[in-house]
Amino acid sequence: MDLKRYLNERSLIWLALLLAALLIPVFFGTNQYAMVLVTTVLLYAVLAAAWNIIGGMAGQLDLAVGAYLGLGAFTTGTLLIKWNITPWVGMLVGGIIATGFAFLIGFPLFGFKIKEVWYALSSSAMVEVLRVLFLMWDGVGGPTEVYLPTVISPLYSLRFNTYIPYYVIILVLLIGVIFLNHRIRSSRLGYSLLALGEDEDAVEVLGVDSRASKLKALMIYAFIAGVVGGLYGCIYGFLHPSFFSTALSTEIAILGIVGGLGITYGPLLAAIVLVSLKEYLRSQLGGGLEGLYLVIYALFLIVVALYQPRGIAPLLETGYQKIKSLFGVRADVKSQ
Amino acid sequence: MLKVNNLTKKFGDLVAVNNVTLEIGTGEILGLIGPNGAGKTTLFNTISGLYPPDRGKVIFKGVDVTGWLPHKVCRMGMSRTFQVTRAFTHMSVEDAVRVGAYNRCSEKTVSARVDEMVEICDLADLRKRVCGDLGLASLRRVELARALATGPDLLLLDEAGAGLNTTELAGFMNLLRQLNQEHHITLCVVEHVMQMVMGVSQRIVVLDSGELIASGTPAEMSSNPTVIQAYLGKRAIPC
Repeated sequence: MDLKRYLNERSLIWLALLLAALLIPVFFGTNQYAMVLVTTVLLYAVLAAAWNIIGGMAGQLDLAVGAYLGLGAFTTGTLLIKWNITPWVGMLVGGIIATGFAFLIGFPLFGFKIKEVWYALSSSAMVEVLRVLFLMWDGVGGPTEVYLPTVISPLYSLRFNTYIPYYVIILVLLIGVIFLNHRIRSSRLGYSLLALGEDEDAVEVLGVDSRASKLKALMIYAFIAGVVGGLYGCIYGFLHPSFFSTALSTEIAILGIVGGLGITYGPLLAAIVLVSLKEYLRSQLGGGLEGLYLVIYALFLIVVALYQPRGIAPLLETGYQKIKSLFGVRADVKSQ
Repeated sequence: MLKVNNLTKKFGDLVAVNNVTLEIGTGEILGLIGPNGAGKTTLFNTISGLYPPDRGKVIFKGVDVTGWLPHKVCRMGMSRTFQVTRAFTHMSVEDAVRVGAYNRCSEKTVSARVDEMVEICDLADLRKRVCGDLGLASLRRVELARALATGPDLLLLDEAGAGLNTTELAGFMNLLRQLNQEHHITLCVVEHVMQMVMGVSQRIVVLDSGELIASGTPAEMSSNPTVIQAYLGKRAIPC
């Protein structure tokens, strides 16, 4: 294998990040709160990285991550409860069901050229529709919380007493999804998505099937969200229709946008900054004035929208180039 | 190469293209002219598949492509540029060209194709630049490059010369002739800039109020009374 090709400075930075991520449980493993926080950050980062494929690259303002997440969670949970099927398999099945659902939804939506705000509204409505449907569906619990059992072994039923295993599993997922993002970004599909996000007619006359490309992006994203959903249910240990959450869906889209649309590491960066910020604000201000942390969080978003409308990732890029030039390395002029 | 039979496109009550029949021969450079609102762009949009026609047929290389989606028509070998440039503003020039290049290339060969197109359209200095930062003349070349990258046999150019100065226009005309002669691409140019359409076209068709009113050589067209009337109104003093 050509090692040199992979050992450039960028991959070294990724490697350093990975090492740091692996060291977190070693240092903070006993601190339950810290582990919850970093697990949540990674969970949001995976979802936002998946969202980046449809929202960032293809430019479709998707607000339905909750739908695919919920489908994945309910599939995985129900398989475990009813038939003792391990969530390892359940997660895959959940991903496949979410993908199938995305196809059923995406095919007509893209076929009828539903886009921009209309796509956002349709996708958001879908989450709500699913929530209500699952509230009424008594077979999978209806309005009551259904708890996931631990059968055979914690590893088999993915039910652990500590967050460390969850953290590791999500970290692996995150690496996979970021790698996938990177692969798509430099492939035919990625170029097509980026271009159609700007002008659909213009890519069509260049031989790009815009509908099929968007559908592919949506299905890949739904599959990841479904898999993560399966894990999500196991982490929380129960199933409830509130998993079909429009609030969560919006928040993931916010992470994708604040990170920088279409930028591979944008969602990760946004998740680290925003989720920690929110959590920090809540822990500091939550006791005093309820809701104040949300006001400050919102102010932060407004500042980003005003001064860094292309997201915070480009900021990191310019900072990185500056540091390099400080150390006398020639700053290579790269277009983003 | 292309046959258009009795093509009609309506927007509500407005008949934008009315019963147009025309033919573009292989290897030809056809000029399509007409006053503002004559339906030139609508005709292009209907041919390239962006609008489904209300009536009539579009036959490309002997295949009836009426009502096909644009990407399918493009895979058959027809591409186009737009009157108002439709740049991918956040993408670099080479990335924009790459989008088109994938039409005929695999992941392995696509980079070479991009290099070739960048070379032909004289974009080497700009290839890393973001499209949104470019001026009109460069953007027109980028649009041409990405359309060319799809490997078309027929290229429809919608007012590709508009907004260019004399030097830029001369360069652009040379490029078009080169594409036609060396790369054997059939061209159909919609144009307002008379200098360009008269300079490159071998044959000209004139559209007015959605209807085809004349066709012939550039010289014939510039003296054709019907054409002059469509553009300037009736001559007050016969001479």
